[in-house]
Amino acid sequence: MTDATVAPKRRGSSWLILPGIIWMALFMVVPILMICYVSFWTQTTFNISSTPTLASWKQFFSSDTYTGALWTTVRIWLIVLATTFAIGYPTALFVGLFVKSKTLSTVLLVICVIPFWTSFLIRVLAWRPMLGKEGAINIILMKLHIISQPIEVLLFTELSVIIGMSQIYCVFMVGPIAFMLGRIDRNIIEAARDLGAGFGRIFWKIIFPLSLPGVVVGAIFVSVMVLGEFATSGALSGRKVNLLGNIIVTQVGSLKWAMASVTGVILTVVMGMVIAVFLRIVDLKQEL
Amino acid sequence: MESRVLKPILALYVAAFILFLYGPFFVLTILSFQQGPDGGPQFPIIEWSTYWYQQIFGLTPPSRIAPLPVGEALIRSLVLAFMTMVTSTVLGVMSAQAFRRKFRGSTVVFYLIVLGMMVPGVLTGLGTSLLANNVIGITRHWYTTAFATHVAYTYPFAFLVMLAILNRFDGSVEEAAWSLGVNPWTTFRKVTFPLIFPGVLSAMLFAFTLSLDEFPRSLFAAGGTEDQTLPLAIYGTFSVEIHPNIFAFGVLTTLFSFALLSVYGVLMGLSVRRARKLAMQEDIA
Repeated sequence: MTDATVAPKRRGSSWLILPGIIWMALFMVVPILMICYVSFWTQTTFNISSTPTLASWKQFFSSDTYTGALWTTVRIWLIVLATTFAIGYPTALFVGLFVKSKTLSTVLLVICVIPFWTSFLIRVLAWRPMLGKEGAINIILMKLHIISQPIEVLLFTELSVIIGMSQIYCVFMVGPIAFMLGRIDRNIIEAARDLGAGFGRIFWKIIFPLSLPGVVVGAIFVSVMVLGEFATSGALSGRKVNLLGNIIVTQVGSLKWAMASVTGVILTVVMGMVIAVFLRIVDLKQEL
Repeated sequence: MESRVLKPILALYVAAFILFLYGPFFVLTILSFQQGPDGGPQFPIIEWSTYWYQQIFGLTPPSRIAPLPVGEALIRSLVLAFMTMVTSTVLGVMSAQAFRRKFRGSTVVFYLIVLGMMVPGVLTGLGTSLLANNVIGITRHWYTTAFATHVAYTYPFAFLVMLAILNRFDGSVEEAAWSLGVNPWTTFRKVTFPLIFPGVLSAMLFAFTLSLDEFPRSLFAAGGTEDQTLPLAIYGTFSVEIHPNIFAFGVLTTLFSFALLSVYGVLMGLSVRRARKLAMQEDIA
């Protein structure tokens, strides 16, 4: 054997992948299959048995609480997706394209990431003294004489959930978009400008299409996290906003495993559809 | 021309954006210096004090507000994060190493692994607890079931980091070692590993911080109160009245992360300098 045939064989042995596959199969694939399986189990008040039944499924779709949670989840997901995009894109545009110095754009990105060093739950909780009736926003607005009465809809409403989630997740939009914008060849933009294109035209014809993979990756991050949320919605809405995640938590809390599983399957289906649609737009493996 | 108008506007916007990102944390920091034990978690500040910080360290006389139950939870979380970090980095390096050669079904395997970071914690947590609780019938613990779900979550991150590093890795140094008759394991240890070490550090950092702050998976997959990790202990205070002690704790954990990242930065700097030195020696030789 010559070295040429030995080398590629030694460089990566395929068995190295096995432990990873086994771990993911056992602790991700099997658990999700488990959710599907248990969703057909028979649930009584204190017990659950593996006799197959559709009872929990029927109960889900005949109850306004559960179907309501499904629509609330979809609604909040779409709103937060839109707000994180709207808030994040201009920032990414500045960081990725307008800042000429590499150092400054790195510094700005690090500034965006620093808040993540605070525990997620504490970041959620930090919105309470911001939004409350005697919270920072109301105090500042009253001091500035913009309002005379404190705004009460800020906390413990759907709005507070949306504000909180937008802040917590918008950085996941900024990162990937800024990355894609940073990779754009400046000469293309120069060329377009030399040919007389205005900024609006350059943006819509060149910048935005080239940043689209970043938008999709950011959207996947945000979607996955928002769809599986329950802590933010619970803590900032005073339990008024119930997402699918909240239903799962309360059902497990009262040992209603079958109902929690039905909700879990529905969440999985929603998630799968969302990811499939996004991946259809962009091939994730190619962008890496 | 446009950039002369647009750039300042965008710069202002970014400033506002940063304010939006940091606003809640500033307010939280201010309120953590609220007077104790009677001051509430809202404005106005009755009197500036470090009462709530002292309370965390058990330096205050007992009052009607119980101190945060974080002591043991913190240790559990740190141990769990360490276990998760080691396991997922080892798995990540191994898998990325395997991916350097095309093999059948590599795309499927790639998505199988990456799915781990996409599936919400609620689902893996629920599924794992169903599996343990209702099907196999074992007790859930932070160091068994919760650990398994944590690795299934952090390992994809470690894998992607290592994949990015190894994609840019020049294999000719390894071939040089092999052609000199060094066996693959020694080659990996003496040649490949030192070169990919900065990547390994990033993978470790990712895994550690993600696991330390992991909440939904632990909520389902860890057992009862004797299994509480730090995020679970914090979550426990959500349901009852909140006090400024949790704000003070938030400030402290943030400072801790800063310290952790500084250590990472120093290690990274050292390893980059060492690599540069090695490269220079090679140039001379």
